Amino acid sequence: MATTDNTLGITAQQAGLARCDHCGALHRLPGTENCRLCGARVQSRKHNSLQRTWAFLIVGLMAYIPANLYPIMLTKSFSGNTSDTILSGVVTLAQSGSVFVAIIIFVASVVIPVAKFVIIAGLALSLHFQWAMSEHTRHILHTITEFIGRWSMIDVFVVAVLAALIQLGAILTIEPGAGINAFALSVVFTMFSATSLDPRLIWDGVEHGE
Amino acid sequence: MKSNSSRKVSFDSLIACASCDWLHYRTMIERGSRASCSRCGHELYTRKPFSVDRTLAASLAGVVFLLLSLSLPFLSLSTGGISSSISILDAVGALWLSDMRWLGALSLALIALLPFVRLCLLIWVMFRLRYRLGILPSMRAAMRWAETLEPWAMAEIFMVGVVVSLVKIADLATLTVGPAFWALLGLVLTTSLISIFFCRDSVWQLLTTHSA
Repeated sequence: MATTDNTLGITAQQAGLARCDHCGALHRLPGTENCRLCGARVQSRKHNSLQRTWAFLIVGLMAYIPANLYPIMLTKSFSGNTSDTILSGVVTLAQSGSVFVAIIIFVASVVIPVAKFVIIAGLALSLHFQWAMSEHTRHILHTITEFIGRWSMIDVFVVAVLAALIQLGAILTIEPGAGINAFALSVVFTMFSATSLDPRLIWDGVEHGE
Repeated sequence: MKSNSSRKVSFDSLIACASCDWLHYRTMIERGSRASCSRCGHELYTRKPFSVDRTLAASLAGVVFLLLSLSLPFLSLSTGGISSSISILDAVGALWLSDMRWLGALSLALIALLPFVRLCLLIWVMFRLRYRLGILPSMRAAMRWAETLEPWAMAEIFMVGVVVSLVKIADLATLTVGPAFWALLGLVLTTSLISIFFCRDSVWQLLTTHSA
């Protein structure tokens, strides 16, 4: 875990260099389009990083609204039809005694998406307006958003498994509702949003302040 | 001001932090240790022992587990005297046939297709590196894709989803897990082994130095 103390005291960009995001090779700027070693596109900073982040985030947020309003799962049985939204599904689970599983679903489908919207929007705003916030805090927040987003997919898989398996005609049939499509889209777009945010922008602010 | 000093050194002796762009000189580090950025703490490079051999072994095991988990019975359902047993491919097929194509295709891609492609790319690159069959330009493209696909391979999240399904349906029907469930657990474990064994910077050094 030793940190190397052999630093040049400047960023690659300040040295007129750009790092290939894949193989790490350094290129002289400007004039380099594709990496001479691995062929990937070389960008010193992700192109239009903040705009893309906002665009994907807003689509993700828009999809999250119908995801919560429409039912995600329809249960049809001889004892009657029921439909569950994300939140009513959590409540039903908790009432039937499966509090732990209810918490898992609540965290994956509500806490993580909302936290991601707030954190990404907060990071993007703080970069845009140069808010005073420690780079290390922002660095940690950025790392968190990249790791937690995928876990929201749990509810999508639950509906897929149940809808595929429970096809017993009039006795018991489970169908996916419109809400689950919107929810899956919301997760996918916020994942794109998180990867669009270039973490190097967080540290570029340091030089501006000096 | 300081930027003049960087002109004299070769690009190959420098490395920029992927997370904050801070420039460092590459130094030899001990086998099994890692170098981190002095500014943000992000990993710069590692030297993991037998990285290529171990990544290859884990990827091969992963493909076997993946194929087993797709073909063996995954879940059995019984309610009111009726019982049925399905594999993951049956489940996706059922979604497809009953007009839930979007959900079926997305699930198939995230559980099976993308992990399978990623493992095959890793196996091909690691196999050629391990047996010194020469570096091809397409190996670098393969490595780039394997890295891009990583967050989209969601076998471990699917497993949590399956366990939640078992609980959620417990009142209506009895679900039991079949051998494919345990094969999927094997895939999840080997996937995390790959991320432990894989030495990203060393592999890129191997893939790029011979042609530069």
